Amino acid sequence: MKNGGINGQNDLEVSKKNPQLSKLKKEPKQKKAFSESKAGYLLIAPAMILIFLVAVWPVLQSFYFSLFDLRLNNPTKSEVHLSYNVDLERYLNNYPFLVSAIDNEVREGNAAKELENVKTQLKTIDEKLQKDADVKTKYSAVNDKLMNFEQPGADIRMVEVERDIAEDYLKTTDSVLASLKKVTKETKLSQEDKVIGLAAGLKDSIIKPNFIGLKHYKDNLSETRMWKALGNTMTFTVISVAVELILGLAIALLINKAFFGRGLIRASILIPWAIPTAVSALMWKFLYDGQNGIIAKIFEDVGLVDKMSNLLVTDTGAMFAVIFTDVWKTTPYMSLLILAGLQTIPSSLYEASAIDGAGKWKQFTTITLPLLKSSILVALLFRTLDAFRVFDLIYVLTGGGPANSTETISILAYKVMFSQTNFGEGSALAVIVFLCVAIISMLYIKFLGKDLLNDGRGN
Amino acid sequence: MKKKAGPLFYIFLVVFVFFIMFPFLWMLISSVKPLTELFGDKAFTPYTSDPTLKSYISVFVDYPFLRYLWNSAVVSTITTVYTVLVASFAAYAIARLNFRGKTVILGLVLSVTMFPQIATISPIYIFLKNLGLTNSYLGLIIPYTTFTLPLSIWLLVTFFRKIPSDLEEAAKIDGATLMQTYWKVIMPLAVPGMFTTAILVFIAAWNEFLFALTINTEEKYKTVPIGIAMFQGQFTIPWGEIAAATVVVTVPLVIMVLVFQRRIVSGLTSGSVKE
Repeated sequence: MKNGGINGQNDLEVSKKNPQLSKLKKEPKQKKAFSESKAGYLLIAPAMILIFLVAVWPVLQSFYFSLFDLRLNNPTKSEVHLSYNVDLERYLNNYPFLVSAIDNEVREGNAAKELENVKTQLKTIDEKLQKDADVKTKYSAVNDKLMNFEQPGADIRMVEVERDIAEDYLKTTDSVLASLKKVTKETKLSQEDKVIGLAAGLKDSIIKPNFIGLKHYKDNLSETRMWKALGNTMTFTVISVAVELILGLAIALLINKAFFGRGLIRASILIPWAIPTAVSALMWKFLYDGQNGIIAKIFEDVGLVDKMSNLLVTDTGAMFAVIFTDVWKTTPYMSLLILAGLQTIPSSLYEASAIDGAGKWKQFTTITLPLLKSSILVALLFRTLDAFRVFDLIYVLTGGGPANSTETISILAYKVMFSQTNFGEGSALAVIVFLCVAIISMLYIKFLGKDLLNDGRGN
Repeated sequence: MKKKAGPLFYIFLVVFVFFIMFPFLWMLISSVKPLTELFGDKAFTPYTSDPTLKSYISVFVDYPFLRYLWNSAVVSTITTVYTVLVASFAAYAIARLNFRGKTVILGLVLSVTMFPQIATISPIYIFLKNLGLTNSYLGLIIPYTTFTLPLSIWLLVTFFRKIPSDLEEAAKIDGATLMQTYWKVIMPLAVPGMFTTAILVFIAAWNEFLFALTINTEEKYKTVPIGIAMFQGQFTIPWGEIAAATVVVTVPLVIMVLVFQRRIVSGLTSGSVKE
């Protein structure tokens, strides 16, 4: 804007002197503005594409996944299926062998009539399947691959089928399995287990759509474990951020003066912030240890816990331990942010108010706090979101225990996804975390106004 | 409010620094204690009469700790170099060029820094698994972009805005193209800001936990935070080794913080303080 303004002014001056010249000048300027915005889009394009691919798209996909019954350990549910699909590899590994096994039995004269009937049913459904052109091409492609003992590719293995065909298929395979079971009860077949096994395999070749809509959300919202995790997250966030803010503000006010060794203080403030959270969590786990932990012993000596071994095994003890560690790790960081804000307040304000006879407290409430408002809110915003997303600290220090008393919503989502391999439900929990974070940031931004994005140049 | 500090103030400072550093000091002491002194009555004595380097040797001999350090270094370095480069173009455009939708884009960048990692992990995990990129360096570098790129853009925009625009205009008048202006005029001035951004991005990538935990599960590709966290065995926790490993990762960090503290502080506070 600034350079635009300056140029504009020049143009204006020129046009006063010579209207023709200004006309001449205008044209290239417009061209320049055009190429500037083009260059701007070009320069931001790579970053924007990357951000879209690695951050925005996955979040949208998480939401999509959360609408499905998606389980990585279950081959029929390991992908999202909006419609019915036939696993042709599986189908063709069962159907021809079932038909020939039945033929075998018929040849041997075992329950010929019933078996012929079953065979007709199978043939009918096979024809019905192959009526669809897409199914037919993939059917023969997979068949060729299997004949050559090759693995059919993922692109031809699965084929979408219409709902009524799929339902027909399921009905047929059900009745085939039922009649075969009946037959085996009445007459002895020579390859009983094989026939039944193939029929069951045939039935499993169809993959039902695993779209379940908002069921995961409904289930989660009525589950006490989710609410407990959400409550734990809130407790952790509110207490730790509040304590960090008060302590951080106090420390910032105290060290906002000239003294010897500022660099050393700054460095020691930065170290807890810079060390990997997982490492500091493990360190504190050692200090909190029920038998050998020095901090646990100090807590016992000063009466914070009645027995040092209780610290990590009781609900409140564990939550306290987790919050204490977070306060240790991030209060210095908080005080650093607030200190930076403090240093932008001109000291003349304090001098003037001192002349007017304002006391220390009055100065604090009328000058310091109002002028610090935006730095404090920004610090609070980032800290609140960090605390709400807490994962590594708790994962390493308590693992969410004892008895889920420190399990936060991120930990719960992780466990559901990677321990239970239930990606659908886990994604629903992840979306819930995302929505909470969005709500928190919107509330803060409402307080902050547009301060955060404004670049101070009126753009 | 620039007041002279009195002796009471220095006592406060000493206490404050002691509180912050105590866990590290205790780890340092524990790392040189012989195993027997880590348990029982001697666990609480702040010294040892019989210092030993056994735990340190064990960290490097019994655990693939060097491998973890190497993995972390490779992943963090590549992530830092490529994100800061990509981000610098975008940040320059946002800070310096006039085009529509700048504020919206900056808003998007800021909101992406607030995305919870857990909300992106399932699609990213499935994507990397399908591509066979789990247990590889690329398998971490790609997801690390989710938080390093917005962070870099956000920091660099503030740094670019601080560079006086006079020089650029002079270059323009002299007929330099946009790219020439960027490489010859802006870049040299932006180097300190880019360096600061690189330090912060490197620390963020070095410390990352959730992606590293889920994506690189093989011993060969674990990073330092995961490696140390997984020192805990099923039944016993090797505290001596953990203490030694903690010291090993903390010492370079302390040196780095001492050297670069001014830069780190300016980076941390640049996005949050209006000047």
